[in-house]
Amino acid sequence: MRSILSGWFKVREDLPPGRRTLLTVLSFLIPIGLWCFVSYTPWIWHPEIKLQISAEREGVTTVYVAGDRLSREFFPEFVAAVRAENDTIRAARDSGSVADTSARSARRRNLKILRQLAPVGLAHGWMTRDSSTDDAAIYRLWRDLATGARVATRPALTAENLEIVRDNWAILERHSPTFAYGQLPTEPLLKLVPQGVPANPVYLPAPHEVLAAGWHDFTHQPEDGSPSMGDRVATSIRIIFLGFVISCAVGVPLGILCGTFDTFSRLFEPFIDFFRYLPAPTFSTLLVAIFLAHDAPKIALVFVGTFFQMVLVVAKTTRLLDRSLLEAAQTLGARPRQLISRVVVPGILPDLYNDLRILLGWAWTWLVIAELIGVKTGLTEFIETQGRFRNFDRVFPVIILIGIIGFTTDQILAWLRGVFFPWTGHGGPASRAVARGLVWLPSTIIESARDRAEAMHNRASSP
Amino acid sequence: MPLTKVRTLRSLIGFLLIIVSVFSIPLSASAAPLKIAYSDWPGWIAWEIGIRKGWFQEAGVDVEFLWFDYVPSMDAYVSGNVDAVCMTNGDALVTGATGKPSVGILINDFSNGNDMVVAAPTIRTMADLKGRKVGLEMGFVPHLLFLTGLEKAGLSEADVEIVNTPTNETPQVLASGAVSAIAAWQPNSGQALKALNGSHPIFTSADAPGIIYDLLYVSAESLEKRRADWLKVVEVWYRIVDFIRDDANLDEALAILASRVKVSPQEYEPFLKGTYILSLKEALERWKPGSGLGSVYGSTEYVDAFNLKYGVYSESQPAAKYLDPSLTEEVAKMRGM
Repeated sequence: MRSILSGWFKVREDLPPGRRTLLTVLSFLIPIGLWCFVSYTPWIWHPEIKLQISAEREGVTTVYVAGDRLSREFFPEFVAAVRAENDTIRAARDSGSVADTSARSARRRNLKILRQLAPVGLAHGWMTRDSSTDDAAIYRLWRDLATGARVATRPALTAENLEIVRDNWAILERHSPTFAYGQLPTEPLLKLVPQGVPANPVYLPAPHEVLAAGWHDFTHQPEDGSPSMGDRVATSIRIIFLGFVISCAVGVPLGILCGTFDTFSRLFEPFIDFFRYLPAPTFSTLLVAIFLAHDAPKIALVFVGTFFQMVLVVAKTTRLLDRSLLEAAQTLGARPRQLISRVVVPGILPDLYNDLRILLGWAWTWLVIAELIGVKTGLTEFIETQGRFRNFDRVFPVIILIGIIGFTTDQILAWLRGVFFPWTGHGGPASRAVARGLVWLPSTIIESARDRAEAMHNRASSP
Repeated sequence: MPLTKVRTLRSLIGFLLIIVSVFSIPLSASAAPLKIAYSDWPGWIAWEIGIRKGWFQEAGVDVEFLWFDYVPSMDAYVSGNVDAVCMTNGDALVTGATGKPSVGILINDFSNGNDMVVAAPTIRTMADLKGRKVGLEMGFVPHLLFLTGLEKAGLSEADVEIVNTPTNETPQVLASGAVSAIAAWQPNSGQALKALNGSHPIFTSADAPGIIYDLLYVSAESLEKRRADWLKVVEVWYRIVDFIRDDANLDEALAILASRVKVSPQEYEPFLKGTYILSLKEALERWKPGSGLGSVYGSTEYVDAFNLKYGVYSESQPAAKYLDPSLTEEVAKMRGM
C-alpha cells in the first residue's frame, strides 16, 4: 500500500515508466470524465429543456424543432401556447363551427402536425435521417402508435400526447388508411404538446451527442453539394502547407543570413521586428483585394502570420551556433560562403527543425482566420456555419479533429527528428534503427559514385 | 561529404519547388464564367435551386455563384472580384456612392417581414428603446429599417445608442444581453428570436412594405460586354420563380433552400412568407417608374433621400442610373407576355 502511494513527488526526478504512462492516460481521462459527469448527472446544472417533440405555433415565425433548447422558464409558456391552440380547436369542434381556411393551407398545416412525430421515429430507429421526411412512413407511425402496435419509449409519449395521437388517428383513418396528400383531412388536427428533457446549454453537448454527430458528418457525403469532411481536411491542409512552405522558402534563408551577417541583420530585422506586431488578420481585406477571392489570400495570410516570426526565430537560432565551430573552420581556411553551407547550415539544422515544428503549430492558428476571409472554405467554414446555427455537437468533432491532426503531426515530426538527426540523442531505439536504414542506401550509392568520380578524375589528370 | 550535403540541400529545395507547383495548379483559373456573389437572404438563396438543378448549364450560360456574408459580398464587388452581386436597392446606392456603381437588372423580391428589429422580452415597442443600445450593421439595410421604425415611433437616431454589429453575429449579441434589440434579416433574425427565448419582433419590413427591394446588380462593364449571357441568367431566374411558386414543389424547394443556410425545412418555411418573390408579371409592375414604394424607382428615390438625410453619403444618387428593366422586359416578350 505504502509503495503505491509513495514516490509520486520527488523533486526534479523522473517517475518510473509505468507511472508516467498512467499519468499520460489520466491527463486525457480526467477532462473526459468531468465532461461525462456534468453531462449525465441530471441534477447537476441542466438549466434548459431540450425538445424531443416540438410544435409550431400559429402566427409566430419562430419555429422550434426537436433538438432545440428552451430555457426552463420559457418552456411552460411554449407548452401553454400549444395547449391553448388545441383547446380552441376542441371548442370549435364542440360547437360545430367550421374553420374557414382554404383546403390547401389546412392540409399543409395538418401535414406539419403529422411530421411532429418524425423525431420520435428517428430516436427509435424506426426511420433513418434520410427517410425522416417520408410522409408515408410517418403516417404508418401514427397508426402504429395509436393502435399500440408500436410503443414509444425514448421519449415515451405523455398520456396527454398519446390521447392526441389516438384522437387524430381516428380522424385520419376515416379519410384514408395510408398516406395520400390529397386525402388528408381539412379539419384541423390537434397538435402534439411539446415534450422535452432537462439539458445543458447548447454549447456543452453530451459526449455521445458529439460522437454521433461527428460520426454522421465524417461518414456521410452532404446532400447539399457542399464538400465532404475529407475534402475540407484536404483544403485546409493544402492552404496551411502552401502558406508554410512559401514562408519557409523565403524566411529560412533570410533568417540564416541575418543570423550570420550583421549587415543583413541590421538591414532586415528592425523592420521585421516592427512588422510582426501588425496583427495578420488586419491584412485580410487587403489580401482579398490583391489576390482575389479564392485560396491565394488565405495562403498569403498564413504566410504573413508565420513569415516574420520565422525570420527572427531562425536568426536567433543561427546566432546560438557554437562560435568555436566557426573559428575552427576559419582556421582551416574556410571562406564565408563555405562557412554558411558547410558549418552554419549543418550546425543549426536540428534546432532549425525544431523551430519549424513550433512555427507549424502557429500556422494552424492562422489557418482558422485565413479560412474565413473571402469565400469561406475548409474545416473553419464548417465550424463557422455550424457554430452560427448553434450546432455545437457538430462543431466539437471538427475542433477535436484539428487538435488530433496537429498533435499527431507534431508527434511524427518529433519522432522523425530522431531519424534525421540521430546525433542529437533525442531518438529512441526505433528511430535510430530507421535512421541507420535510411542512411545506408543513399550513402552506399554516394560512396560508390564518388569512388567512380575519383577514378575518372585520376584517369583524366594522369597523362 | 560537405559537397554531398550541398547536393542534398539542392535536391531538397528542388523537391519542395515541385510540391509547391503541383499544389498550386488548381489555383490558376482558366475560363471566365460570370461571377455572382450571393448571400443568405431568402430571395437570393433561391438561386440555389437553379444551381443545384443545373439550369444554368441547360441555358448555356457559364456562371459561378460565390457564397459570402452580405457586406463582404459587396466588398468583393467593389474590389472587382465578381461581376455581379445580390444587394438591396438601398445598399446598391451606398455601394455606388462610396465604391463602385452597378446596374440592377432583376428584381428578386421585396422584403415582407423578414427584415426585422428583434427586441429583448422586456421591450414592447420601438418607443421603449429610448436610451437603449441596439446592435446592427451601420450604413446598410438593417440600419435603414431601424431608423424608419424609429421615425414612425417619433424618435430619432440620437435617442438610442447604435452598436455596429455584423448581421450574422446579431443573434449572439442579442442573447448575450449586451444590447436591448438588434436589426437583422432572416435567417439571422430568426436565429436571434431563437437564441433569446421570449424575444420578439417589434418592427419589420412588413410594416413598411416596398422599402427594401432585393435585386441582382451587375457591373456596367460586364452588362455591356456580355448582355446575352445576363439575359440567360434572367431567364433562369424566372424558371426558378415558377418552380418555387408552384405548391407541388414546396417540400423539394424547402429542402434545397434550407440546406444552403443549414436550417431545417420546418424552420425555413416561415421565411417564404416574409420574402415576397415576384413573378415575372408582378416584377414588370414594380419596374414601372413611379414615386410610391410600389415602384422600385420610387423606393430607390425614397432610400436616396433617407441616406442623404442621415449622411450615409453626400451626393444624391439618380435612381435611373442604377436600374435597367430592359432584360426583364425582353424575357417577358420571349414568353409572349
